[in-house]
Amino acid sequence: MSPTFIYIIVGAVVTLVFIVMIFMITGKNKTNQQLVAALDKMKKSFNALDEQAKLIVKTDLELNHAQEELDKRLSGLDALQKTSRLISTTLDEGEIFDRLKQSLSAELDFEQYVILTYSTKDSFQAKVVEGFGDKEIQLIVAGITLDQALMNKLLAGEIFSSSKSSPQQAKEIAQIFNTQHFILSPIISQGGMVGLVFVGNASNTFTITEGDEELVAILANQIGQSIQNARLFEEVYLSSRMLETKVLERTQQLESALEEVQNISKTKTEFISAVSHELRTPLTSIKGYAAILMDGKLGEIPEQVKERLGKINTHSDSLVQLINNLLDISRIESGRVEMNMSECALIDMIENVHDLLTPQMKEKGVHWKTNIDPSIPPVRVDASQYERVFINLISNAIKFTPSDGTITVTAKREDNTIQMKITDTGIGIAEKDVVRLFDEFYRVENKINQNVKGTGLGLPLAKKIVEAHGGKMWVTSVVNEGTTFHFTLPLKNEQSTTKNEKPLTKENT
Amino acid sequence: MPIGIGIGFSQHIEAKEAAEEALKEAVTKSGLKTPRIALLLSTVQYSPDIVINTIKKYLPNTNVIGCSTAGIILEDSIKTRGIAILFLDSEDIKYGLSAIEDLTAQGLEQSGALLAQNSLKEFGAHGRQAFLFFMDGRMENNSLLIKGLQNVFGNIFPIVGAGTSDDFTFNKTFQFYQDKVLKNSAVGIILGGAVNISVASRHGWRPLGKPRMITESYSNVIKTINHQNAVTLYEEYLGKNSNDIRAQQLGKTALLYPLGLHEQASQEYLLRNPIEVLNDGSIVCQGDVPTGSVVHVMIGNKDSCQQAAYEAASEAKKNLLGKEAKLIIVIESMARLKLLGRGAFKEIEEIKSLFPKNTPIIGLYAHGEVCPFKTTDKFKKPLLQNESITVLAVS
Repeated sequence: MSPTFIYIIVGAVVTLVFIVMIFMITGKNKTNQQLVAALDKMKKSFNALDEQAKLIVKTDLELNHAQEELDKRLSGLDALQKTSRLISTTLDEGEIFDRLKQSLSAELDFEQYVILTYSTKDSFQAKVVEGFGDKEIQLIVAGITLDQALMNKLLAGEIFSSSKSSPQQAKEIAQIFNTQHFILSPIISQGGMVGLVFVGNASNTFTITEGDEELVAILANQIGQSIQNARLFEEVYLSSRMLETKVLERTQQLESALEEVQNISKTKTEFISAVSHELRTPLTSIKGYAAILMDGKLGEIPEQVKERLGKINTHSDSLVQLINNLLDISRIESGRVEMNMSECALIDMIENVHDLLTPQMKEKGVHWKTNIDPSIPPVRVDASQYERVFINLISNAIKFTPSDGTITVTAKREDNTIQMKITDTGIGIAEKDVVRLFDEFYRVENKINQNVKGTGLGLPLAKKIVEAHGGKMWVTSVVNEGTTFHFTLPLKNEQSTTKNEKPLTKENT
Repeated sequence: MPIGIGIGFSQHIEAKEAAEEALKEAVTKSGLKTPRIALLLSTVQYSPDIVINTIKKYLPNTNVIGCSTAGIILEDSIKTRGIAILFLDSEDIKYGLSAIEDLTAQGLEQSGALLAQNSLKEFGAHGRQAFLFFMDGRMENNSLLIKGLQNVFGNIFPIVGAGTSDDFTFNKTFQFYQDKVLKNSAVGIILGGAVNISVASRHGWRPLGKPRMITESYSNVIKTINHQNAVTLYEEYLGKNSNDIRAQQLGKTALLYPLGLHEQASQEYLLRNPIEVLNDGSIVCQGDVPTGSVVHVMIGNKDSCQQAAYEAASEAKKNLLGKEAKLIIVIESMARLKLLGRGAFKEIEEIKSLFPKNTPIIGLYAHGEVCPFKTTDKFKKPLLQNESITVLAVS
């Protein structure tokens, strides 16, 4: 019934009263009997009207209650929306509760509320509290924990309220919280109950409604999800931090180990260098004296002695070669080598080496083939050192290539790098040996090496020379098909130095 | 000199922080660091002692007056939790503050008279405009307090007051006066000088059902209506017996259906909230209920409330005689907050529609309001009212 209608009725009644009063006052043409009848009629009308008014009030009261409940639900939804937005935008569990505290105080119309977290290890911890003191919270926690039946129901996800739970259950919870009107809901996460939400009103002014129960249930669910998200993030974050720490520790260990290895290597190089120098001097004397004896300057010597002296001379030469290689390697490693950089034509260098090694190739019946890119410009290298790379690699190829085999030298330009390779059709190298081929003193075990003496220093030295020029060296091989040594030379060799330039070191290669 | 005005508000959960935030906003908006007058409003979730101590720490020389409330009315919203502070400052505004403690012990009429006298002492010899005061809303009959005020100020001097309220529990109200938090007290400020204050009030409730007569009453207690126990009226209308009505707190339900006393010279009904039912079936009201008064059960709705707000604001604006309002203070019954619920702000929108955009608005929900009520053809006499909305415009 609309208020306008009510006003019309009220207006009509007042007018009626007024008219009757006029009739009563004027009293003209009316008998007392008529007046009494009119009054009686009026009284009946008033009473009928009053009955209608009572009906209106009752309806209005119900409407007001419905409106209040609707308002409460709308406010609750609004509060939930704001709270959910606040707590879902952080992954810090502490921050979730801080935000909840602020939001609930502003948005929820409850005199008291508590949010407790729960774990089997730590039991209950109060996170958000309004309307209770510290001691009261302790009593509440003790009360819940001791009530095993209540705990079991909470763990099973049951929600309690003063209006819906059984009178006995409601009374027990009301006693624990010392509050007449309440809702108590577990916060459920994937792993089970992770906390509790309690809201309540101590006074009778505000009782709990169905809307309140729904609100708290949704709120508890939202808190559960946020806590779960925060904990998952915390877990991932901690794992990540742990991993980072481990990587850092391992890196530090590796750095220490590397430093140690570098120190040992440096010591080794210095040792080899010192020993080599010490060895070379007496060797020179031995060679000199052997030559004097062989020349017969100290008198004729028997043929057998001459033959032995020749062996001394040959072995001394091998030893000198070994020592020179060691010294070169140690110089390069220690950065003490001085490169005499000059421009030279690569093709000329390869031809020189070819000329030098032609007798050996002819002797063994090995063919020579070159494939040199004519566009390769003059390169800037230490010619004497770089020539040793070709000599070492081609000598090796001759050694392991059978008669009628072919050695092919290829050089081509790719951007600012010259790619070179020396390919033979020799016996090849097994995979297990390929990985160690450039180790110092490492010699592949095969029949050829058993018959031919070698130091195991040629390839490491060649590799170090290539690297000292800013290039790289590697090997590919197929057993019984042949081997290819690949190496590169940058055209702009920034690492190289001239005599007057800074000596080349490992650090700046 | 122009009036310095600034309103600050905060909903921070901690009382100290909320007070500081509200202060900071008021300072920013007014440009004043130490205003002469501050009106402080707080909902009851905050410790009033922390609030006042924080405010006085920053404003030691400012005259602070205020109270608790069920809700704070702001320009853009209504909040049932928060702290608001209004800064008011001008060399041309004259004022006098006073407070009367322990009202019940001193007697309400005597207290009212003392409150008025002390305010006038502070005020000095200036032109008076209006008296604004906050009284403990839990008093059973504040009509006597108003009578005491009128004994000093005169019957038709504009007195605007609010019974301090809380969160509808009717037991947590307080008043602020300077650095004190008071209970069972009344605090007031008389304003005058070069300032114009215009006041108007309406309620929007309408009579329902047949008129009845108060056949026996004293002070604020109605013993019988139409020779029946007074509570019978509500039993008939609400459909419950008196014990049930008592159990559900008559004050809360009856807020929606107050009694309307018909005033011959006025189109308005003077409303009375029944707040308690006594064992003998008498009804205790918030104000005087003279024997012989014709009463109705009254009913209101959202439309009538909004219309009343509009009418009150229109009259307040009209009474400014063309001057622009610099500040609007709204005092309205907490019953309206309950009745209107989420639509409560629509009343404020009605008020805002009549004044320039961005006119500062601050207000509170009261448990019993005092404002001039038209009792004769010519004059308006301040009376205790219920369910009303009062608009006070300052220019």
